[in-house]
Amino acid sequence: MAQDNIDRNNLGFIGNLLCEYLRDAIYKPNEAHLDQSLLPEELRAFASGLEYFAECVMEINDLAKSLAKGDVVRAKVPSRENEMASPLKSLHSSLSHLTWQTTQIAKGDYGQRVNFMGEFADSFNAMVAQLKERRDALTEEIKNGEEKTKALEQSNSLFEAVTSCLHNLIAVVDIENSQEWLFINHPVEQFLKRRDLMPYLFKWVTDQVGQNEDIHSESATELELPDDEKPQYISVERYPLRWYGRDAAVFVLTDITLEKMRYLQLENYAYRDALTGAHNRHYGMEILGKWLYEGVSFMICFIDIDYLKYVNDAYGHEAGDSYILLVTDALGAFGSDANICRLGGDEFMLLLKGWDQEAAEKHLEGIRNGLRRQKASPNAINPYSISYGVVSVDKSNTLAPGELLAKADEKMYVYKRAHKISRTGDASKTTDKI
Amino acid sequence: MKNVFAQDMKHTTFSWDNIGNITEGRGDLGEDMPVLVYRLMQYTMLDELAKVYGIDRANEHFRNAGYLAGSEFAKNTLDLSLDFNSFLAALQKSLHDLKVGVLRMEAFDPDTGEIVLTVGQDLDCSGLPITNETVCYYDEGFISGILEAYTGKKYDVHEVDCWATGDRVCRFNGSVVAD
Repeated sequence: MAQDNIDRNNLGFIGNLLCEYLRDAIYKPNEAHLDQSLLPEELRAFASGLEYFAECVMEINDLAKSLAKGDVVRAKVPSRENEMASPLKSLHSSLSHLTWQTTQIAKGDYGQRVNFMGEFADSFNAMVAQLKERRDALTEEIKNGEEKTKALEQSNSLFEAVTSCLHNLIAVVDIENSQEWLFINHPVEQFLKRRDLMPYLFKWVTDQVGQNEDIHSESATELELPDDEKPQYISVERYPLRWYGRDAAVFVLTDITLEKMRYLQLENYAYRDALTGAHNRHYGMEILGKWLYEGVSFMICFIDIDYLKYVNDAYGHEAGDSYILLVTDALGAFGSDANICRLGGDEFMLLLKGWDQEAAEKHLEGIRNGLRRQKASPNAINPYSISYGVVSVDKSNTLAPGELLAKADEKMYVYKRAHKISRTGDASKTTDKI
Repeated sequence: MKNVFAQDMKHTTFSWDNIGNITEGRGDLGEDMPVLVYRLMQYTMLDELAKVYGIDRANEHFRNAGYLAGSEFAKNTLDLSLDFNSFLAALQKSLHDLKVGVLRMEAFDPDTGEIVLTVGQDLDCSGLPITNETVCYYDEGFISGILEAYTGKKYDVHEVDCWATGDRVCRFNGSVVAD
C-alpha cells in the first residue's frame, strides 16, 4: 500500500513535470525545458521523444507564423530531422519558387508559368499571358512608331535640306480660323526680315485667305512689294493642303525681281523706241489691233515731223535727234493715257482714248504752234513744226490696222500740203520737200 | 589477331561520344529504362565504393562523377548562349523531358551568383526510405557542372535540405567559388 502511495506521488510529480513542459512548449516555447534527471530512467526515452515532438511542433509553428506574415524569404526552415514539417516545408518551397517566378515576371520574363495552387495558378498564368500579349503589342507598336519616326526624321531632314537650298520661299497658312502661319522656311524669314516686309506680306496673304472664296484651289500670281530702292517682284503659287487636320494653304514665293527686271528690259527693247522712250511701231500696231478687236472708240493720229531731213543735213544728227525728242516731249502733253508710238524716222502714231476728233486736232494744232515758236538754233532759218492727220475710229470700223494707219497718213499729207511752210517759216513761199 | 581498325579510346575515360547511338543500339527496346535499373546500378556502385574507400570518399567520387555528367550534359545538350532565364527554362524542360526531376528556382542573386533551387521527384532519391542522411551527392556535382558550364565560374553546390511529402524534394544552395 505504501509502495502504491509512493508510485502515485511520483506519477503525480512526473505528470506535472511533463504537463508543465508541454504547456511551456505550446505557450512559452523559449522557456520550455524538460529536466530529464528528474525522471525515472524508464521514462527518459519517452521524454526524449516528447522533446523531439515539442521541438518539431515549435519549428512548424515558427515557419507557419512566418508564412502567415508573408515572410517567405527570411522564414526559418525546420531542420531536416523534422519530418513532421515536410508538408509545410513543401508549401514554403512552393511559395519561394512562386516569389522567384513573380520577380522574374516583374523583370519581363513572361515565359514563367505557375503550376501551384490550382485556380490561382490558372488565373495567374492567364494574367501573365495577357501581360505578354500587351507587351508584345506595345513592343510592336513601339517598333512601328520608331520606324515611322525614323522615316519621318529622314523625310523631314530631306525636306529641311531641300527647303533650305531652294530659292523658293515656302509658307503654310491656316485658312480655317486663325490664319496663323503654320510653317515658314528659313529663307523666307530671313528674306522678309531683311527687307522688313513681313507685315506687308502677312497682310497680303491673310487678305488672300480672307477674301478669296476659291482659296481651296491652286493659283499663281505675281506680287510687287514696295521698296524704297527698287521694286521687288515675287511670284506666288498657292496650293491647298491639309496640315495636322486643318485646312491650310501653301504659298510658294519666288523672288523674280531679276527675271522681272530683265523681262521689263526686254519688253522695253521690244516695245520702246531707243531714242525717245516712246512706244515703237510694233507695240503701237499691237495696241491698235487690240483696241480694234475690243471695239472701243479712239482716235488714231499720224504725225510727221516737218523738215527733219533738212535739220539733220544742215545741223547734224544730234540736232535732228534733239528735234525728235522735242516733238516727243510735246506730244506728251496728251497725258499718260495717250499711246505715243514712233513709227520710224520722222513719223509718229498717236492712239487716244477719251478724245474726240476736234479736240485731238485742236490739241495737235496747239502743239504745232508751240513748236513753231522754237528753232534748232537762233540762226536757224526754219522753225520746228509737225503735220498731222486724225482719224476717228469706233466699233463700226471695218478697216484693218494698216488701212487705218494709211488713212491717217493720207490725212496727214492732205494737212501738210494745205499748210506748206518754207524753211524760213513762210507758209506761202516754199516749194521745198518738207 | 589484333584488330588494326579498333579505335584508340577507352570507356574508362568518359567522352560524350562514348554514350553511343542508343536508338540504333537498342532497337526495339528504345532509349528509356526504369528508374529501378538506374538506382540499382547507382547504389550498388556506391556500396562497393564505400566498402573500398569509405563513405566520405565514396560520396566525393559520386559528386565528381555528377560534376562531369552535368558539365558534359550542359555542353552537349543546352544552348549556353541564352540569357539566364531562357537558359533556366530550357534546363527545366530538358530535365523534365529526360525525367531527371522537377527543377524549380527559389532565388538567384545576379551580383553574387548565389542560387537556391529545388529538385522534386528526383531520379536519385525521391521515394528512398528516410534515413536522415544526405544522398544527393551526385546531384550536387551535376548541378555545379551545369552552372559552371553556363557561367564560366566554379560553383560549390550543397544539398541543404531533403524532405518527404509522398515524393522527395531536395533543396540546393549554390555559391561561386572564389578564385
